[in-house]
Formats: sequence, structure tokens, C-alpha cells
Amino acid sequence: MMKRKYGAIIMAGAVAVSVLLGCGGGQKAADSNGAQENPGTAQSREIQESSGAAESVELIVFAAASMTETLTRIAQMYREVRPEVEIVFTFDSSGTLKTQIQEGADCDIFISAAQKQMNQLDISADSLVNTEGLDFVLEGSRFNLVENKVVLAVPDGNPADITSYEDLGTDKLGLICLGNEDVPVGAYSIEILDSLGILEQLENGSKITYGSNVKEVTTQVKEASADCGIIYATDAFSAGLMVVDQADEDQCGQVIYPAAVMNLSKHQQEAQSFLDYLTTEECQAVFESVGFSMAR
Amino acid sequence: MDWYPLYNSLRIALISSVIVFFTGIFSAYYIARLNRVVKGILDVILTLPMVLPPTVVGYFLLLLLGARRPVGLWFQEQFGVKLAMTWYSGVFAAAVVAFPLMYRTARGAFESFDETLAYSAQTLGLSNTYIFWRIRMPACRQGILAGAVLAFARALGEYGATSMLAGYTPGKTATISTTVYQLWRTDNEALAFKWVMVNMAISAVVLLIVNMLERSGKARQKERRK
Repeated sequence: MMKRKYGAIIMAGAVAVSVLLGCGGGQKAADSNGAQENPGTAQSREIQESSGAAESVELIVFAAASMTETLTRIAQMYREVRPEVEIVFTFDSSGTLKTQIQEGADCDIFISAAQKQMNQLDISADSLVNTEGLDFVLEGSRFNLVENKVVLAVPDGNPADITSYEDLGTDKLGLICLGNEDVPVGAYSIEILDSLGILEQLENGSKITYGSNVKEVTTQVKEASADCGIIYATDAFSAGLMVVDQADEDQCGQVIYPAAVMNLSKHQQEAQSFLDYLTTEECQAVFESVGFSMAR
Repeated sequence: MDWYPLYNSLRIALISSVIVFFTGIFSAYYIARLNRVVKGILDVILTLPMVLPPTVVGYFLLLLLGARRPVGLWFQEQFGVKLAMTWYSGVFAAAVVAFPLMYRTARGAFESFDETLAYSAQTLGLSNTYIFWRIRMPACRQGILAGAVLAFARALGEYGATSMLAGYTPGKTATISTTVYQLWRTDNEALAFKWVMVNMAISAVVLLIVNMLERSGKARQKERRK
């Protein structure tokens, strides 16, 4: 009997291990496969298909999350123009992408949702912005691709009845979702709230919840987890969200998306041709269909 | 330094471990006596949250508790209570993730309990409730306490499901783990480091408690053998 009890204690201690090894089995493996399928499919499909072509080139494009829909569509179009070029995307907040490039991630093209993150990687930019003296941008390849608008979006039916940026200072607002300050849309949001003089009031009232990129903010609004959120016009359009207000240029400046080839890229020529393709009329039409305008 | 994340983390971990303590013990007790097939199925379902990535757990919870989802909507309409994006959303997330640890450990302890003790108690005319609380539980004390401590530690460190279900609202839903991530993201390394130290201190204390429990358990057994 004593032996048995002693066994109980050992079992208690080792339970985490035993469960992982013993009871894992087929069912869970199948489950986690299913769970992983969603985010990974686009990339894995791209890789699988590329293995067929003889001289295929793989271009890795790091782009702002707000470009997910448009660039995915353009990549499909590009396959007809240049079937040998496979484009693999990573979509996330420009701040995260900038950090990943800085940490040595393989990347041929970077498209940022604000000048700041591109400047931080561009040696020709002001050293006040590029504080770490990073040199990742291929000289002469950088240009302004498109322009976006920063809007206030609400869930279906607008439960909190918020109709303007000014309403954010009233009691109507329970919770607003913003991007982090390292996410471009978060930085724009802070400028807007600051220009209205209500940023501190919202912070002190714990009325702000932070998302780690613009798509997360969009989802929080769509799910009505928050009463409203500040996102881009294009994300509101793609998600079918109701837009109640739009920021002026004097509230948050122009929202410009710069694009550039990375100087560590092994396919600089191919990368440049893809960037050139983005400025063609076909691509402009795609960008404009969701609410981007071409950068002046 | 704003200590709210510490308070919130401890509050979430304590409440969820109390919930998990009772639900874990009772499901372990009742499931242990079911037939093999049902037991096997329930066992897999109840242990799943431990082996699934927390983000998958968070996703399922959001599908249920989100403001526009069945359960969340019902609570909103009936009681005007929001289940997602509040501090107690963190309790739901932590409880679901920590539950398997309590359940598995308690079941392990119950299974190695010598049933003849319960039978002899029955011959003495003792009620099942009495047998459960005064004989079975004390005999399985070590395993159950270890399970509770492990569940508490897991709940305290929960990040994935919590960040999805409760979000990150400073002063409202922020926990230590979400705060560390946020501070790191926004390049506030000094403060992130402080929170890391706080978290490590708490975890060290928890592990010390586990070790002490094990040692006192062994000592007691030695004494009994004499």
C-alpha cells in the first residue's frame, strides 16, 4: 500500500510529461494540424507550387498588414505576367516587420505603412530617426507607393452610437481599440487623439485596449469586442465595417506607404521588377478598389 | 511603477485555481468510475486544453464568449454582462488552460488510492460524503495539492488565450504576461525587465512550495514505515 501511495506522488509530479507523451496520440495531432491550417495555407501553397518550375525565383515580401488583400490579389495577377516568380508574403505591423528585418530575416521587399519604419532602416534618412544607423534599403529603390486614410470604424449597428472622433471624449465610449504605438496606425491614432486633447483622459479611464497590428484592431471592432477602433479606410472597407469619421491631414499628417528593395536581397533585379509592376495601371486599379489612392 | 498587472494576475490566478480545484477534483472523482470507453473520450476532451496551443483555446473561447457569439450575446442580453475584454475574461481563459493540470493530477492520485480503505469505511456505516472528505481526500492530499499549485502557476503565466479573450487594456485587463509583451513591443526594455524579475520571483516561490510539499510528503511516509 505504501508503495502505491508513493507512486501517486511521483505520478503527480511527472503528470505533465506523462500526459504529453502518453495520451497525446493521433487525435490531438490531427487537431493541431487542423488548427494550423488557416494561417499557413497561403505560404505553403506558394512554396509547393514553386518547387515545380525549373528556374523559379522566390521573392519574400514583408508588407504592412493593411495591404493583405490587395497584395495577395496582385501576386495572383503577377503569376500570369511572370510565372517563374513566386511571391511569399509576411503581413504584420510595419514595426514588427522592421524589427524582423533588423534581426536578419530574409526579405527582398519591404512595404511599410509609414515613413518612420522605412526611415529606421534607411541609412540616407535623418539620424534622428535612424538612430541605430541601420542600412538595409537598396539605394535608389525607395519610392512612395500609395496613400491611405485613417478612419474611425464601428461594429455593425454601432451599439455605442459613436459618430465622430469628438464622441470619443464623451461617456458614450466604453472601450476603444487602437494599434500599439509601434504600429503605424497606432501612432496616427495617438496623434489624432492628442490633437483633440482627449488622449490622457482615455488612458486614465482605461478605455483603450491595444492590438498588435491593424488587422487585430479590425477584428476586435468587427467582433464588437470594442465600441470602435481607429484603422485604415482600406481595412474598414475589406472587413465591411461602418466608417463614421475620417482624420484630416492636419490631425495626423499624410498616410504614405513607402516601398523599397532590401540591399541584402539575392534577387534585387526581380524585386525591382515587382515594385515596378505595382505602379502599373492594373495594380493601381486594385489598390484603388479598396480605398488606397496613389501617392502624390 | 504601476502595480496593477501584478494585482490582476494574482487575482485571475487565485480565482481560476479555486474554480479549477473543485471542478478538477470532482470530474476526476466521477470520471475515474465510468466505464473505459466514456472515460477515454472524456479524458481526451478534458485534457485537450493542455496540449493545444493557447491561441487555439483562445480562439474557441472567443467563438463562444465574444460579444457577437452565442454565449456572449446571451449574457449581454440577459444580464448586460460582457464576457470578453474584461478582467474576468482572463479568469475564463486561465481556468480552461489550467484545468487539465488539476484534473490529471487529481485523477492520478485517486487511481492509486487503495479502494479497500473506502470499502472498510463503508462496512463501518460511514456515508460516502464522509468517506470522500475524511478518508479519500486526506489520503490523496499530496497529489491534489501538487495539482493545485501547478494549476495556479499555469494560470499565473497564461498569455495566449488571455490576450485573445481579454485583450490588453492598461489598468483593466493587463496581466504580467501581456504587460511584458507590450513593453517589449514598444521598446520599453527597462520596465519589461522589471516585470520579468517580478514574474520570476513569483514562479520561484511557487516551485519552492511544490518542492516543500514533496519533501514533507516523503518525510511523512518514512515515518509511517517505521
